[in-house]
This record gives sequence, structure tokens and C-alpha cells, in this order.
Amino acid sequence: MKILVNGENKELIEQTTLEELIQQLGVRKETVVAEVNRRIVQLDKRSGIQLADGDQVELIQFVGGG
Amino acid sequence: MTATINQLMTQDSYQINGKNFTSRLLVGTGKYATNELMGECLEASGTEIVTVALRRVNLDKKGEKNLLDFIDLKKYTLLPNTAGCYSAEEAIRVAHLARATGISDFVKLEVLYDEKTLLPDPMGTLEATSVLVKEGFTVMAYTSDDPVMAQKLEQAGAHAVMPAGSPIGSGQGVLNPNNIRIILEKLKCPVLIDAGVGSASDVAFAMELGVVAVLLNTAIAHAKDPLKMAYAMKNGCEAGRLSYLAGRIPKKLYAQASTPLKDF
Repeated sequence: MKILVNGENKELIEQTTLEELIQQLGVRKETVVAEVNRRIVQLDKRSGIQLADGDQVELIQFVGGG
Repeated sequence: MTATINQLMTQDSYQINGKNFTSRLLVGTGKYATNELMGECLEASGTEIVTVALRRVNLDKKGEKNLLDFIDLKKYTLLPNTAGCYSAEEAIRVAHLARATGISDFVKLEVLYDEKTLLPDPMGTLEATSVLVKEGFTVMAYTSDDPVMAQKLEQAGAHAVMPAGSPIGSGQGVLNPNNIRIILEKLKCPVLIDAGVGSASDVAFAMELGVVAVLLNTAIAHAKDPLKMAYAMKNGCEAGRLSYLAGRIPKKLYAQASTPLKDF
């Protein structure tokens, strides 16, 4: 299946969960906020979210700012 | 016994939505040459509240150190901003994302109008303030130095109102002190100068007006020697606060001799 992660196309195997995606991308899970189709998914709920074809995932983190 | 400077400063605290702070300098984490330097400057500035932004994770830089690796969360209160948002809706979304980290429910609310001036959109700021206050955020609202807008934001429930001294990153200092004086006269909630200061004297000047604190970023991060400037800002801020509390002499047109002129 194809999904969009931070605007980039990604090919994933079926039934990948959000938690698995974050792990595969090598992103530190505790420092990142995740949205699936504009809905925030809390850290403890990510393993229960199975991604589907066409999903849009946003992974956001704190950066420097004023 | 005469109080030391440290005693004077630590006894002089202020609150934002019930949370107590003693440092009156809020410092941003953007634009530093390195995260290590940023961490040193935060320490040198004596700040207790640091602003941060939220952006997409760069998926090409796996395992890279995160900003939070350089900020001790036991020591600093994080103040996530909504910089780069041009509507209430976007700003509300970013505030939700920030709170979802579980680290802070503070938000430095910025709803901007255009990229060149980075001036706030008053209507968008007001709308987002109302929503976020109802949702339980601690809202510190960035605004222009318009006294009417400042009052509207307070009425909407903002926990702090933060007029810009001058445009963000411009280093022009406080351009309209009279507007800041009027805002201070009208508002009961904490008023901070947010943005525009360029040097320690700008911070001291702002503090002498009676604002509770000053928020800055570029003035330290882009100084030739950021660490020296961080120390200077700390001292400028404390000097300005003490000067405000001490009460300046009135300005007079003619000289007033300091030395007795009679009885030679």
C-alpha cells in the first residue's frame, strides 16, 4: 500500500501499524507527535492504528524557534 | 541587613496562570549556530521559560539528536509557539500538536498576517485565543502594541499579553513606549514585550516601563558573541527591573546641583 509521510510517498506492507512505521523510519517515538489524516494519535494508541492505503501521516517534533 | 542582588531578584517573582517564575527573561531557541551554543546561552541568560517551534521530522536525518536533548525539562518550562501560522485554525492545530507531546500546555500564540512584517492578524489571534483558553491552554498571545487589541485579548482570557516592541527579529527596540504604558495601565494580566529588542539596553528600557518580562531570541542568537550577549541580556533585564522598582527621578528641564553651592 502507498501512504504519504510528511508529504513523501512511502510503500508499506499491508497492516503496518503507526508504531511500526515510526520504528521503521528510525524516528525516536517519544520525541515525535503523530497525526494520521489530520487526527493526533497519542503515544500509547499508535500500536492500535493500522495504516491504510492513501493515509496521510505527519510526524512532528520540537525544533528551535522564538 | 542589606539585601543582595540575588535576594532581591528571587523575592521578586511573578505568575502566569498560577505558575511562579523569577527570571524575567524568556529566551527563544531558534537561529543558533549549534544546539550546544543554544544550551549554553539559555544557561547564561538565567531564563526559566524557553520558546520552541514545531516542524515536520526530517526523515532523511535518522537518529539525529533532537532539540530536547539540549534542554533540561526539569529546569525550563517549554513555551511552544505557533510561528508560521497564518490563520486561527492552523495555530489551534499546532497548539494541539504541542500539547500532545505531554510536555507543556503553554502556548505562545502567533497568528501572523504577512511574511514581510510578521505582524499579527488581530482577528485570527483573538479567535484562536478564545478557543485555546476554553480548551485549557495557558495562552500567551503575541500582538502588536495596540492598546485596544491588548484589552480584547485579555477579555478573551489570554493569560499573558505580549506586544511586540518592534517587528520580530528587527532589533529596533521598543518603538512606541507610550502604547506600552497605556497597555500596562489598562491590563491586569501579565504584559511582556515579545520581539524586536536588539541589545541589553533595549531590554532594560522595556523593563523600566514596568512590563513583567521580555521575550527575545534573535538578539542573542545572532549577536557576534551570543554567550556574552546572553549574560548581558540577563543583567540588562535585572537592571531594568530593579530600576523600575526603585523608581526613577522625574525629568527636569533645568539643572539640579548635586553638590551644595553655598558655605564654601
